[in-house]
Amino acid sequence: MSQRIDEYLARLRSALKGTDRATKQDALADAEEHLRTALEQALQDHPELTEHQALEAIMEEYGTPEETAAAYREIEERTQPAFAPQRSEHRSVTGRILGVFIDPRAYAALLYMFFAMITGIIYFTWAVSGISMSAGFIIMIFGIPFFGLFLLSVQGLALVEGRIIEALLGVRMPRRPIFSRKDLAMWEKFKSLVKDRRTWLTLLYMVILMPLGIVYFTLFLTLLVLVLYGLASPVLFYWLDLPLAHINGVDIFLPGWYAPLTVLAGILLLMLTLHLAKGFGWLHGRLAKAMLVKD
Amino acid sequence: MNSDEANKKFLKELKSGTVSLVLLGILDGAGEPMYGYEITKGIDPGLLDIKQGALYPVLRSLERSGLLSSAVEPSSAGPPRRYYRITEAGRETLASWRSAWNRTAKLVDSVLKGKGDVSENR
Repeated sequence: MSQRIDEYLARLRSALKGTDRATKQDALADAEEHLRTALEQALQDHPELTEHQALEAIMEEYGTPEETAAAYREIEERTQPAFAPQRSEHRSVTGRILGVFIDPRAYAALLYMFFAMITGIIYFTWAVSGISMSAGFIIMIFGIPFFGLFLLSVQGLALVEGRIIEALLGVRMPRRPIFSRKDLAMWEKFKSLVKDRRTWLTLLYMVILMPLGIVYFTLFLTLLVLVLYGLASPVLFYWLDLPLAHINGVDIFLPGWYAPLTVLAGILLLMLTLHLAKGFGWLHGRLAKAMLVKD
Repeated sequence: MNSDEANKKFLKELKSGTVSLVLLGILDGAGEPMYGYEITKGIDPGLLDIKQGALYPVLRSLERSGLLSSAVEPSSAGPPRRYYRITEAGRETLASWRSAWNRTAKLVDSVLKGKGDVSENR
C-alpha cells in the first residue's frame, strides 16, 4: 500500500521544487498523514474495497501532487515566518543603520548568541556520550537498539533546535517531526535512520555548536561589557573616581571633557554589536538549515 | 476571457477567504482539538469546491497567524496526527468575520433576488 503513497509523495516533492525546504517538509508530512489516515479509515469502513480502489478515491479528493504543491506555494508567498518582522524595502541607509535599535530580530539574535553556548554544551555532551556508549555497547545484545534510540533522540533534538532557531533567528524551520512509517519493521526503520545523511549532519551540528557557541558567547559578552563600560563611564570616572586603566602601577585618568565621547563610543559600539548579532544570526540560520533540514 | 476561465477566477477569489472562515468555524464548533483528516471530512467537497490537500496549507497559515494552535500526538493505530485547536485570538477573529459574512450574504442575497433594498449599502 505504501508504494502508491510513496509515489504520490515523490511526485509532490518534485512538484514543490524551488519552494522553501521547510515548506516542502511540512507539505510532505501533511500529505502522508492524510493519505495514511484516510486509507486506514476507508478500509475500516468499507472492508470490501481493495487498497488500490480506496487510495484512488482518497487521492482524487486530496488533489493531484501538482494541485497540492500549488496550494502550498500560494500560501507560502503570502505569509512570513513566525516572529520575523516584515522587511521594508524603502528604508534609507541611515534608517537601516539606526533602525537596529528597535529591531526585535537583532535582540533575538543577540539572545541566541548567548543561548547557543548552553544548548551547545548540552548537545555536545549528548552526542559524544551517545556515540561512545553506542560504540561500547555494540557487541552486546542491546547495543543496536540503544544506538537506534540514540539516533531517534538526535532527530528529536534537531526539531527542538529548529524551533529555537525559528523563534530567535526568524529562519523558517520544520514544524513537525519526520514521519515514521508504520509499515516498516524495526530493523528497516533503523537502517533508514543510519543511512540518512541528515542524521549524521545533525550529529555533526550538535558537536560543532559547542565551539561555535563558546565563540559567540565570548565575542558578544566582550562587546557588551565594552558597551556597558562606555555607557557607564561618567559614573565610573567622575563619581567613583576610578581610573580608565591601571598600567605598570600608574593609574590613567581621562580629562573631564571626554565624558560625552566615551558615552558616544558606547552607543556606537552597541549599534555595531546589534548589527553583528544580526549578521551572525543570519549566517548561523543558514548553517542550521543546511545541516538540520532534509532537502 | 471565456466564461469557463471567468468562472474559475471567480470561484478562486470567492474561496480564498471563505476557506479560512469555514476552517475556523469547524474548529470553533467542535470545541475540542481535531486532526487534519477529521476536519476535511466535515467539509462537503461538492459545496466548497476545494481539494482536501489545499486545506492543510490554510490550517498552517492560520496557525502561523496565531488563530489556531496545534500539537502532534501519536495515535494508537496509524501515523501520528497533528491536532488543531482554535485560540482565543481565533475566536475573536471568527466573531468579526462572522458578522462581516452575514452582512455580505445579506447584501448579495438581496441584490441577486432583485427585489431587495440595497440603497443603504451604496
